[in-house]
Amino acid sequence: MRKKTVKSIALGLTAVTLAATVLSGCGSSKDSAESGKNGGEEEVTLTFPVWDLATNGYLKNIVDGFQKEHPNIKINMVDTAGSEYMNKLTIMLNGGTDCDIVYVKDPDTTASYMKKGQLEDLTSYIEKDGIDTSKYISYDSFNLEGKQAALPFKTDYYVLFYNKDIFDDAGVQYPSNDMTWTEWEEMCSKLTSGEGANKIYGGFLHTWQACVQNWAIQDGKNTILGPDYTFMKPYYEMALRMQDAGTIMDYSTLKTGNIAYASVFQQGTVATVPMGTWLVQQMIAKKAAGETDVNWGIATIPHPDGVEAGSTVGSTTPMAINANSKYKEEAWEFIKYACGEKGSSYLISAGGFPSYQDDTTIGEICKADGMPEGAAEALQTTSIVLDRPININSAEVNQMLGEEHSLIMIKEKSIDDGLKEMGERAKEIENS
Amino acid sequence: MVKKKNPLKRVLIYLLLLGLTILTLTPLLWMVSSSLKLDSEVFSIPIKWIPENPQWSNYVKIWEKIPLLTFTFNTIKLTVIITIIQVVTSSFAAYGFAKCRFKGRNVLFLLYVATMAIPWQVYMLPQYSIMNMFHLVDSHIGYILMQSFTAFGVFLMRQAFISIPDELLEAARIDGLSEYGIYAKIALPLSKASITTLVIFTFVTIWNDYMGPMIYLNTESKKTLQLGVKMFVGQYATEYGLVMAVSVLALIPVLIIFLAGQKQFVQGVASSGIKG
Amino acid sequence: MKRKSNKTSRGMTLTFRQNLIGYSFILPNLIGFLIFIFIPVIFSLILSFSRWDGFNPMEFAGLQNFIDIFHDEVFVGAIWKTAYFSFFTVILSMAASLGLALLLNQKIKARGFFRCALFFPYVASIVAVSVVFNAMLQPDYGPVNEFLKFIGVSNPPGWLASTTWVIPGLIIVNVWRNMGYFMIIYLAGLQNIDQSLYEAAEIDGAKGWALFSRITWPLLSPSTFFVVMMLVINSFKVFDLVYLMTQGGPGNASTMLSQYIYNKAFISWDYGKASAAAMILFIIVGLLTAFQFQAEKKLVNY
Repeated sequence: MRKKTVKSIALGLTAVTLAATVLSGCGSSKDSAESGKNGGEEEVTLTFPVWDLATNGYLKNIVDGFQKEHPNIKINMVDTAGSEYMNKLTIMLNGGTDCDIVYVKDPDTTASYMKKGQLEDLTSYIEKDGIDTSKYISYDSFNLEGKQAALPFKTDYYVLFYNKDIFDDAGVQYPSNDMTWTEWEEMCSKLTSGEGANKIYGGFLHTWQACVQNWAIQDGKNTILGPDYTFMKPYYEMALRMQDAGTIMDYSTLKTGNIAYASVFQQGTVATVPMGTWLVQQMIAKKAAGETDVNWGIATIPHPDGVEAGSTVGSTTPMAINANSKYKEEAWEFIKYACGEKGSSYLISAGGFPSYQDDTTIGEICKADGMPEGAAEALQTTSIVLDRPININSAEVNQMLGEEHSLIMIKEKSIDDGLKEMGERAKEIENS
Repeated sequence: MVKKKNPLKRVLIYLLLLGLTILTLTPLLWMVSSSLKLDSEVFSIPIKWIPENPQWSNYVKIWEKIPLLTFTFNTIKLTVIITIIQVVTSSFAAYGFAKCRFKGRNVLFLLYVATMAIPWQVYMLPQYSIMNMFHLVDSHIGYILMQSFTAFGVFLMRQAFISIPDELLEAARIDGLSEYGIYAKIALPLSKASITTLVIFTFVTIWNDYMGPMIYLNTESKKTLQLGVKMFVGQYATEYGLVMAVSVLALIPVLIIFLAGQKQFVQGVASSGIKG
Repeated sequence: MKRKSNKTSRGMTLTFRQNLIGYSFILPNLIGFLIFIFIPVIFSLILSFSRWDGFNPMEFAGLQNFIDIFHDEVFVGAIWKTAYFSFFTVILSMAASLGLALLLNQKIKARGFFRCALFFPYVASIVAVSVVFNAMLQPDYGPVNEFLKFIGVSNPPGWLASTTWVIPGLIIVNVWRNMGYFMIIYLAGLQNIDQSLYEAAEIDGAKGWALFSRITWPLLSPSTFFVVMMLVINSFKVFDLVYLMTQGGPGNASTMLSQYIYNKAFISWDYGKASAAAMILFIIVGLLTAFQFQAEKKLVNY
């Protein structure tokens, strides 16, 4: 008697579970039939997940501007903390929640969304509206197996930030826009001075693996997918050499102390920081608020020997349409606006770097209040390599590289062992 | 029987307690001190315990930059409702498991205990799909339902009820009390300590929950304090001074509740001295 | 089932009534539990035998996920690290909370203040705690190592920046967080002990340790059972703390089971392997819990 009850309970539960699975599966994939056909007048609300809205105020301006032009479309922004944004976005897409505009913070994830069939192919929309795709940085990177998965919105790339006062005190010339990494390393040792709490560091490499590995992929010949990582060796040697010489801060000090590159630079304790252009926006804001008095400048990122100056590494954040959205046409209207001329101008006025660029863009960016002299030349690029290729394995490989990177930097593993291990693990990820 | 008090021993006990307390409170001190600093000063080397020029404005800024009042209200609302549902339903169920006999009791209880060992990350996604089916995502009701029925509550209360002697309940039955009457008039009053433990546990868990609200709440006006803390942790920069200021403020209500509750708690326990 | 002998025709209705009453008690909680917890859990059990990207239809994969994870060094390492972390967390948290409870069960002044102060770590937001302890355990200038240098340790540990010391570091933080809560549970247990037992034993000449080992410890066994059980479950499942403090690093020196599951689910988007790893975690904790229930029957004095 009792056993039977148990059995029937178990069976019942399994049935309910399966029903739930089937239902949720269908709910998210069958809605597409009714999409697209929405007569212009009816009011439509689009869900637009974003991250860290408080610091990314331009998104609000773009949304306001768009809504003014399209009074029948309302954009509902869903704000999440940056560190969990990608999880939340993926859960929203998988769980079948309404989400129309897919703003991909970690651009490489675009590949796995596309593979799962969660993103709409934009090709026909782009052709229909005659968008000039040549104006977009890394437009082709988001073309996956012949389908345009997303439209680039924002492209940040690495430049060299420097503190003019430290250079003046040390009697060293400001960094030029054509400098090799070897020259940078020498420059850093000249700029390092002092002891203890008063020490000035000539250079700074943040704890991200990107701040070592990016210089190795700057020539565009290799990517972080490996699976042979020996090409990174010279840059790990440089990082460890500089760490030993005390011209950059120790990796473990930075990591465990939660030391942010922005605060050390703003305190005036480091002379040069290779960092992404997002720091420009922050420096201008902090300086305007009187929270730092650093006299800063920017130069083009140093380059490897034999590589043209102005070759840099960057990251493009794109926008896409959820393949299961009920309002694809409206979502496309928004993406076209945000990633086009008007959206870009809002981004520029906040000190951001749009992917949509023409001859005047850099000039416009440099008009912003508080931009240092010479920025226009420093910000010129000849090529921007994506730091993480748009590939389904990128995220996993990147996680693995981070783990091995930390072991090399705290010297628990030799450079050779670490790079070898990276190669082996990259192959495993590739094959799984 | 009067115990002899050794004065030296008492001094030692106080010194030990004081030492331990200082050790325990050092991180709190760090929090408070950092909440009065500029971001760039928070991790300065070496550590400055007393900020050179205290940024009291941090405590003003946090109210201006995010809707802290709404967040606090939401957190209080969710915490109180969930704690009440949790305590009522799980003590009710626990009485069933501990003192009633019915078919499938042991198997069902085993199911409860078994789920305690499974990390939330594992079933987060299916749970989200179910919530979404019921259109409960981005609603307080959804979050309340998700957090109210934990196995832990049932387990804790069952442990308490099981130690109540059957003879006591039998006597009450003979006196004509229904099972529900026994639950309310005998079992609950005898388990004040466990109830308090459950209240504190649930309260603190929900108050400090970050992942749950992060996944389930989208609209600004529905968000909670812990999400507010994270709003100062940006992608490229963290405003540590403000993070600490919000964290210090978020501590205060819970400490007040504990301070008020712990006396109640000790008395509750003392008056239920049946076991042992 | 003591009443089985009563199974006459009247007994059947009695059983029915009993079932009805029993279910009426558990139903309010059971319904919520089944829908919002149990079904998702069953779902993840099914997942562990399948390949799923979280969106498209699942494919049956048999035991392949289990085979794969046991070939993954990171997973096998994670099992040992979790065991190591849990063993010391359980022992040390238990010792600390019992010690504090014994101290604070005495009639002393400002008892409320001390209890409150020691309870604070449990209440503090974990986001803030992780930031604070990262600074406290900083190898070169953090207060902990400054203190160690002050008392003459010439080469203090690298804590979170060292593959050897990262887990001990996390254990310290976890014990610091736990002790206040379990102190409360022990205090409750101590309050339940009849004072006359001590008085009687003192008349017989028993003192200090003898009082503890013969009265306090045996009579605290229900509390100890509960404390150990909760500590085992919580330390095996530990996630937030590690995620916020080290993300499983340096390298994967502090990648424990929950972190592994999280990485598989949310970085590799491989729910099959994530669920398989979760099942292994579930089996380990399940066995430990079952073992404790057995021990409880033999050892606990009610």
